[in-house]
Amino acid sequence: MSDNTPKEQNSIPTSKVQRSAKFVKTGFKVGGNYIKHYSKKLFNPDMDKTELNEDNAADIYESLSELKGSALKVAQMLSMDKNLLPQAYTDKFSQSQYNAPPLSGPLIVQTFKKYFGKTPDKIYDKFNVRSSNAASIGQVHQAELNGKKLAVKIQYPGVGDSISSDLKLVKPFAFRLLGMSEKELDIYMKEVEERLLEETDYELEVRRSIEFSTACAGLDNVVFPKYYPELSSKRIITMDWLEGKHLREFLQTNPSQELRNKIGQALWDFYNFQQHELRAVHADPHPGNFMITSENKLGIIDFGCIKEMPEDFYYPFFSLTSTGLMENKEETIKAFRQLEMIHVNDSPKQIEFYYTMYRQMIGLFAKPYITDHFDFGQTAFFDELYGFGEKVSKMPEFKQARGVKHFIYVNRTNFGLYNILHELKAEVKTDTFKPHVTLEFAAS
Amino acid sequence: MATIESIQKAYIDFVLTQGEQPKSVYIFAKKIKMTEEEFYRFFGSFDALEQNLWTGFAVKTIAEIKTQEVWSQYSAREKALSFFYSFFELLKSSRSFVVYSIKKQPKTFATPQVFQGLKDLFENFCNDLIVEGLESNELSERKFFSNRYKDALWVQLVFVLNFWINDNSAGFEKTDEAIEKGINVTFDLFQRSPIDNLLEYGRFLAKHGGIKQSMGFGSN
Repeated sequence: MSDNTPKEQNSIPTSKVQRSAKFVKTGFKVGGNYIKHYSKKLFNPDMDKTELNEDNAADIYESLSELKGSALKVAQMLSMDKNLLPQAYTDKFSQSQYNAPPLSGPLIVQTFKKYFGKTPDKIYDKFNVRSSNAASIGQVHQAELNGKKLAVKIQYPGVGDSISSDLKLVKPFAFRLLGMSEKELDIYMKEVEERLLEETDYELEVRRSIEFSTACAGLDNVVFPKYYPELSSKRIITMDWLEGKHLREFLQTNPSQELRNKIGQALWDFYNFQQHELRAVHADPHPGNFMITSENKLGIIDFGCIKEMPEDFYYPFFSLTSTGLMENKEETIKAFRQLEMIHVNDSPKQIEFYYTMYRQMIGLFAKPYITDHFDFGQTAFFDELYGFGEKVSKMPEFKQARGVKHFIYVNRTNFGLYNILHELKAEVKTDTFKPHVTLEFAAS
Repeated sequence: MATIESIQKAYIDFVLTQGEQPKSVYIFAKKIKMTEEEFYRFFGSFDALEQNLWTGFAVKTIAEIKTQEVWSQYSAREKALSFFYSFFELLKSSRSFVVYSIKKQPKTFATPQVFQGLKDLFENFCNDLIVEGLESNELSERKFFSNRYKDALWVQLVFVLNFWINDNSAGFEKTDEAIEKGINVTFDLFQRSPIDNLLEYGRFLAKHGGIKQSMGFGSN
């Protein structure tokens, strides 16, 4: 394995340099806020830090929303503005890796001693103290044991804490900015915090990696590294070193259409098998998590972020992707109600409005599912998608929270997948793992 | 037969269960079934015993880190980091005693007696790695200041000790962060940095009398 490209690099279509520059600017501003705070405090010692925190959050948030690219716009689509927020957080945390200095050699040794009681050179035959890559919340080292090349991921200390405290910092500001009530937004915030905190639990990640790679072992052209639970702990993961090219590097080699389709198909199958058969999905489809091996297979690393889909979300949502249900207005509205896209106390006029808009939106999203194959290379589909997202994000009706919390990660997953397939310009068979649908819902 | 270790162990057990030093060497010696005279053969006082414990932590730490394979590849900065991490890892097994020993010290600027041995040993250790760092140009040679680098590291150690005894985080992760950040900042300052340029600029200005006068602090 390896995360050669820094984690978030490709999920937002801006260059890394620009993005870093953005954050340097924010750093200055935040620094400025501290100066402002302490100079004010000179004259008014009673002043507390509320204003400072607000200033910081405002600047952090501002730079985050400036960073949003098309990926973000698409993700916004279904759940509207509330999605912008979690996405911004996620970006921020992945982004922080650019600012985090690499762990010092002694700290790595210390981490091993803490969890295994031994130094790394006593555990592996060879261990490179200099890290080869940065991962989102840690760094990756190369090691060797019994002639096998290994990747060892080590987490930065204190990451979990900073996630919770950063979320708290930006929260009050976000309420105001999005004009949502704390109660409305809290559900979504909790969802994001939960997922982010799960990502810091490496023991859980190892368990899931093994589970998922076993469950997906039957898929064509997909490979996983082997994980070593006995050499992993809360802050350390040991797995096989996966040799291969990252998506960007792979695309630079000008792969044939046939090869693009093969990789694209593997990706499509991997995601749809999980969604429709496992009902839990690798919810971090960004290019850094995939490698193309020398045998032209898709290597998948990093199962840190898994989204489980409960039945009461899965059925109404994916049933909407079938034309059978969408033709039936009454049942469609029932599904929308179950997904809280239409609320109980909406007026008939509102019901009509949201029905029309969401129907159009989901119709767009479901396009690849309607036919048995789909060409993700065509730009028309994506233009339509972005255009619609843009339009909707400007509508005042979508300023409030709608849709169940599960949308956040399910959207991120599917639009992330669409985006990668678009970059690959792949044509894939979309009927390999079809959604399970019901055409009628019990009245709720 | 009593040994340094067995007496120290009994002493730690005593202070932790009683919450204070034994009232006299006589009482303590009696409790561990030895004569007072025998006790004095090892230590002159309870403070000397505690001092020896603290020095022992550092001796063990230094011996331990030097056996690590990577030691020889480490820069001065990494050697210092390595000491800090291993030192606090070692202290973990005696945390209660450490907290007791630190908390009973009077809050003064002078180094308390029980830390003197640790301080001397630590400064020696730092001196070696500072000299090494200066030779390899990792650190910047500055008149007067480079002799004081070791003091800065001692201040760090005292700071982290106090941080650690108040650290409630799981696995003392916060202390790890404090070490990583603190030592890095300290060594950043030891390196060639804007400070050197500032000093040089000051020297340049001082040498050019004309400017001195026009700045209004000429001496004549």
